Amino acid sequence: MIMVTEDNKYKSVINILKKSTPVPDSAEEVEREVIKRVSKIPHQGMNISDVTDFLFGWVYIGWVRRSLIAASIILVLVFIYQQGIILKQINYLSRQTVVVDGAASFNPESAIEKRLMMYKMNGRRFASKKITISEKQMEEIIDSVNALQIKYKDLINLINEDPELKNYIEKKLIENDHKKIKL
Amino acid sequence: MTIKKLNYNTMKRKSIKLILSLILMTIVSCDEPVTVVTNIVHPDGSVARKIEMRSLKNISGSGSIQVPFNDTWKIKDSISINEKGDTTWIKSAEKLFKNVDEINMEYKQDTGVNKSISRFTGFKKTFRWFNTEYRFSESIDKKLSFGYPIKDFLNSEELAYFYSPENMKKERENGPDSTRYKALNDSVTRKTEYWGAKNLVSEWIGEFSRIAGGYVTSEMTMQSLKPREDEFISVIKANEAKFDSLWSNGILFKQFFGEANALKYKTEADSAAAIVEKNFFVDFKEYSVRIAMPGKLTGTNGFIDSSKVLVWPVKSDFFQTEPYEMWAESKIPNVWAWIVSGLFLVFVATGVIIRINKKG
Repeated sequence: MIMVTEDNKYKSVINILKKSTPVPDSAEEVEREVIKRVSKIPHQGMNISDVTDFLFGWVYIGWVRRSLIAASIILVLVFIYQQGIILKQINYLSRQTVVVDGAASFNPESAIEKRLMMYKMNGRRFASKKITISEKQMEEIIDSVNALQIKYKDLINLINEDPELKNYIEKKLIENDHKKIKL
Repeated sequence: MTIKKLNYNTMKRKSIKLILSLILMTIVSCDEPVTVVTNIVHPDGSVARKIEMRSLKNISGSGSIQVPFNDTWKIKDSISINEKGDTTWIKSAEKLFKNVDEINMEYKQDTGVNKSISRFTGFKKTFRWFNTEYRFSESIDKKLSFGYPIKDFLNSEELAYFYSPENMKKERENGPDSTRYKALNDSVTRKTEYWGAKNLVSEWIGEFSRIAGGYVTSEMTMQSLKPREDEFISVIKANEAKFDSLWSNGILFKQFFGEANALKYKTEADSAAAIVEKNFFVDFKEYSVRIAMPGKLTGTNGFIDSSKVLVWPVKSDFFQTEPYEMWAESKIPNVWAWIVSGLFLVFVATGVIIRINKKG
């Protein structure tokens, strides 16, 4: 019996509350309050400002900012130095190196002279070379060359003593300089 | 008048050389081919090596080969006949080496005509952030232990001329400035002849002192013999024609050191002379080295040929008293490093601008 009475009381209270709806004093005030509360709820995504803060947060940390600026300056200086050196080297090369027409060739005269000297120093023997003439013939050739050198000296003296002949030979030698000899 | 005299003296020297050459050409076989070895260097250190030999005779056997190659190379033989009907035999060999160590190994196993000289190659790669630098070299060890460097005898202009390829010398001697270059050539020839004689004597003194050791009289020590070098040179020059017989009979030795010393040190003197002969008169066959580097060339001691490749002549005089190094340096820009550096600079600059704006 008691339970039924309390239950009725509860229901009547609820009905009274349902019927008495609140009357807002100011709709604008409520709107402001709602916006204020909603804005306090944290966002799930990121905007540009957040990205900027994330990437450039270091600008507010003194030692990081100074280190990165110093690194940038060093990088620029290294670049200028390296490129400057390379430019200097390339300029130097363009001034110094000489373009050779064709691959390098050799002077057979010097090689043969060296072989002759080698032969003389080697006790007039051929070390490991095949030779188609006899040692005696080789001796004769060397002696001939020596004799020729003596005669050549005499000839030079003869030319030196005769100015007319000397002028004539000089003229001929200069003429020959401008001609290419085909062997 | 001075120029005329200079020309005349030069021609005198040239004429005797020509006479000697013509006589000796008939008796000494000149069967070695004209050889050019080209190294194409790659950024990873591998080297494509090409050897081209041209000869008026058929190239066969290793006896006449200046730069070593073997069956592992890609070898091609061909002939070329010019309009006159002259035949030229051409042998070309090609191989890709993983690194310079492989080339050096082939040099060590060389059985060719230049096997008595020590040759090696080097490669260095250096990372410099914006660029990567490369250095490649072909080197030959010096032959003499007691010789004088050529730079002590020639000035810078003469030195440059001394190391020049022969065709360049000839081109200059026949060019518009021919008188100057003929005078230069004459000066270089005269000075190198003296340099050669000086090396010969110095080497003999060095070897004699090494063999005789500390058991020599005071006038036969290295310190006593060295100041007499020029005196010995003049005696050798005066007796050049019969040098070998005068030496073997002991006449020159007696003239240098007196009869008592000549008898006492004959064995040591002959041994020293034999060593000098072996080291000084290297039976070396000349050739050319070419190097093509990766990227932009930044340094070299070589010359540039008509196909824009670096070239060096290789002659025995070049490595007689000092090692001969043919080197080239180049660089390749690291594009990625340039991009990374640019982005970094933009990043730092933006940060600084943002801070300035916020502060303001």
